[in-house]
Amino acid sequence: MKRLLLGAVCAFSLTVGTAVQGGVQAADEITVAALTFVSSSPLFIAQERGYYEEEGLDVSFEFFRAAQPVAVAIASGDADFGVTAFTAGFYNLAANGSLKVIGAQSREEPGFEFSAYLASNAAWEDGLKAPEDLPGHELGITQRGSSFHLMLGLLAEELEFDVDAVKLTTLEAVPNMMSAVSTDQVDAVILPGWLARRIEGEDGGRIIGWVHDYTPYQLGGLFTSSDNVEERRDVVERFVRAYQRGAADYAEAFHQFDEEGNRVFGEEAEALIPIIQQYTDATPDAIKASASYIDPEGALDVGSVYQQVEWLQEQGLVAAQADPASFIDLSFIDSHFNLPE
Amino acid sequence: MAEAVRELKFRGGGFAPGRKRWTALVFFALVLGIWQLAGSRGWVSPLFLPSPLAIFEALRAEAISGNLWIHLTASLQRIGLGWVLGTLAGLALGLAMGLFTLARSVGLPLVSAFFPIPKIALLPLFILWFGIGEASKLVTIGMGVFFPTVVAAYSGVDTVPRNLVRMAQSFSLPYSAIVWKVVLPGAMATIVAGFRITVSLALILVVAAEMIGAEYGLGAFIISAGHLMMTDRLLGGVVCLSILGLLAGTGITLLERRLLHWR
Repeated sequence: MKRLLLGAVCAFSLTVGTAVQGGVQAADEITVAALTFVSSSPLFIAQERGYYEEEGLDVSFEFFRAAQPVAVAIASGDADFGVTAFTAGFYNLAANGSLKVIGAQSREEPGFEFSAYLASNAAWEDGLKAPEDLPGHELGITQRGSSFHLMLGLLAEELEFDVDAVKLTTLEAVPNMMSAVSTDQVDAVILPGWLARRIEGEDGGRIIGWVHDYTPYQLGGLFTSSDNVEERRDVVERFVRAYQRGAADYAEAFHQFDEEGNRVFGEEAEALIPIIQQYTDATPDAIKASASYIDPEGALDVGSVYQQVEWLQEQGLVAAQADPASFIDLSFIDSHFNLPE
Repeated sequence: MAEAVRELKFRGGGFAPGRKRWTALVFFALVLGIWQLAGSRGWVSPLFLPSPLAIFEALRAEAISGNLWIHLTASLQRIGLGWVLGTLAGLALGLAMGLFTLARSVGLPLVSAFFPIPKIALLPLFILWFGIGEASKLVTIGMGVFFPTVVAAYSGVDTVPRNLVRMAQSFSLPYSAIVWKVVLPGAMATIVAGFRITVSLALILVVAAEMIGAEYGLGAFIISAGHLMMTDRLLGGVVCLSILGLLAGTGITLLERRLLHWR
């Protein structure tokens, strides 16, 4: 019995030990945690075009299947830099003091179709023809506090309707949302545009609006651990420079419009698509359809982050003590905008 | 020649693991104490491992707001109903497989083929088939309970001593009496042991079942807390499931005593 107890205590302290330590590697070898999404493209471009190398960084990627583990990997010290969407879970993790947001991922920018409000056929027949009609209907989301929930909250603030008037159904994953809306089990969902278009194409629902038309906002960010910011500042600076070059290349290629205001994809885009394809495994058409707006300098819409945190706090989804000022570090990029006073 | 008399100790005691209440309690207290110490001394970040007190606080807040009871009752209903449905169906097929050739020849490959399918992987399909309402949740739990019950029931029937059945037959007891008075009581030990497993399975599966379309429920609470990175609430929900597991285990021990008192 005694020996068993001792063993249990040892095992316990061992697991705790490994959970507490981690990170801190040789100076210039860094690990980047990311999702294989087009919105992470600047990371991939910087790698393939050698921008990291020119900054003296040896980057290896760690890929995840959901946004949450990316943030957890940074907080636990398993990876140095991460890029994902903002969620309540992310902000709670950041409020804990282990993360610093230092740059931007995608944002919902006017003119760039990214996320769509999609009504089910039955709800559309019944009069759900615009996002303004959402109150009184049932919206399918992945989880409370997810990007989709956040988009609904921002819409409610923008259109000044009571968010509780929309009934939420949590469906855990995007494929479930797609099957629920196309079988009329929920009235509407908010989906990445190219998936919404696919459902509309299969006659499984109707797109009733685009998020960028209603609530342009900062979708996600580039972040690192607080330890990195404090102890390896020059590595963070060099990484941000490489990331910005990747973002600039991306913006050059994917932010083009023709005279009629339609998006066009020229030679630059064609040159980048194979690089992005290598990481995302998406077809060129899917890449074009899901190429969101990424600030060419990686600049954050800071006010948008404040607004998101505030709304999530009102909903009780983010800890009351979470303060964006404490987890956003504006010192690495000059061009952050919409700064709160 | 003097014969040495050697005393022989009785060695045939067998293995008889007993239970001492105190050791378990002391062990639990010790683990909790070290855990709390690690948390309050700052050895571990509260995010990675919230201290027992923090977990208790999170649970207390839920209990005071009344949400905890809503979550509990919602889950208990699903677990109870799902378990009963799965168990009834499983007993029916399992006993039939134990008694009839046709049922066994059809049932055995069926169970082998469908048991290993992870029910969670089928969730998107369950939504299409059963909707996002209660039905898909009951099916998820029921399916998980069904297969182990089938296995327990038919192997329970198999373990009934053949000579008892033969004796009953030679005394020309009617078929139904043999099933009721010999086969069922004989199989009961294995069946109840199966209950022990399926109740735990139902508790595990309620988390999966409530992933989708559940506003309330312990599983929904745990999953949502995980997504929100509120680890104290997450572990609070897990503690609730453990307590339910303990209670269910105790309940089954009582059931065992009642059903198997003839032993």
